Amino acid sequence: MPPSRASRRREASDLGNEANALTPAPLPGGEGSNRVAVVIGSGSVKCAAALGLLKVLDREGISIDLIVGCSGGSLYAAMIALGRSAAEAEEVTRRLWTRELTKRRHYPSLFRAMLPKIFGFTEQFGLVDDTLILDRLQVAFGESKFEDARIPLYLTATDFHTGELAVFSQGSVVDAIRASIAIPYVFRPWKIGSHLYVDGFLSDPMPVGVAIKHGANVIVTMGFESPYQSHATSVLKFAFQLSSIMSNNLLRANYAFHNLAHHTEILPIIPQFREHIHLFDTDKIPYVIEEGERAAEQQLPYLRRLLAAELS
Amino acid sequence: MVIVVEKREVVTIVSIDGSVDGTTARELVSSLREQVAGGSSRLVGNLAGVDYTSSAGLRALLETVKDTRQHGGDLRLAAVRPEVLRVLELSGFTSILQVFDDVDAAVASFAA
Repeated sequence: MPPSRASRRREASDLGNEANALTPAPLPGGEGSNRVAVVIGSGSVKCAAALGLLKVLDREGISIDLIVGCSGGSLYAAMIALGRSAAEAEEVTRRLWTRELTKRRHYPSLFRAMLPKIFGFTEQFGLVDDTLILDRLQVAFGESKFEDARIPLYLTATDFHTGELAVFSQGSVVDAIRASIAIPYVFRPWKIGSHLYVDGFLSDPMPVGVAIKHGANVIVTMGFESPYQSHATSVLKFAFQLSSIMSNNLLRANYAFHNLAHHTEILPIIPQFREHIHLFDTDKIPYVIEEGERAAEQQLPYLRRLLAAELS
Repeated sequence: MVIVVEKREVVTIVSIDGSVDGTTARELVSSLREQVAGGSSRLVGNLAGVDYTSSAGLRALLETVKDTRQHGGDLRLAAVRPEVLRVLELSGFTSILQVFDDVDAAVASFAA
């Protein structure tokens, strides 16, 4: 018999998963003070643009009170929160995110999908062997825990069985990132405790609500719509296209809701890429960071004015 | 932020210059409300001079469009810059607001 919803909640809480927490975090700065959050949404390698945003905030002496990451954004949110410099983060991405990651198929999943009566289909289905990405995440983040972060860090994934947004703020950073980037059909859902998690973009591609819940009143967002393909020439590309359609519509719906339902100031930073950035274009990271920096600089006057106004 | 109001027959054109964000949105809402309360519910928001909008700006637009429609009119946007249009698209506003290339087209749309 599966565990009841209530018992799953208790287990999730023990694991540092705040998906069902009911009480918003208090505002440490007290009423009237600014609490700046950076939310880095999904967008694979494009999320490196957040490093450009970080450069601008650093240069201007604007401190971040909390940081939220989802999917590809979880990598950068974690690196920023753990105190990695932009140069270090760029180097980590180059070593971590390469085409080799998807080269090896996960044959057990293939056999289970094609011959379920013989091999028995399981929910931990993914076409790509995730051994390499796990190894690389271990190299990049080691035994880092959320508790080691210099800036409070929240990473999101999606509970496979309930569809709810799951928020991680305690425990292993590698586990949370692995859950957050469990791209459907590609990487197997990731089990933490008794829960199975899939990519965070499936519940909210830009989880602004997490920052609001934790008391941020100025939220700088950077997230990207999933690219569409002109032709779906394989089953995987077909699945990606459907996934992009759903997640982009979800992004807009959620973003509209958060913009309109709260009095929080949400400042979107939207880099404009003149070049196409594909999933593994890590050679374009310097360009991506540059565009992130440029987009952040454009919004800087408003951010400065807003912070000054709120502080006065 | 500078707001200039111009009447063109039954349509009121509100030209905004500057950013629409948390520090300026209240002023914009007051100005637009004043127009609607004064009987001008057919508004064209000329955003040619707006280079940025945050969530506060979006809330101001939504508040105004509801206000105008409750009074039998509408708020239509004109000459929206690409960077502002991207925010409007991302937040789904282009599905609830009519956006025109220029003020003349927006004004003419009220006659249609």
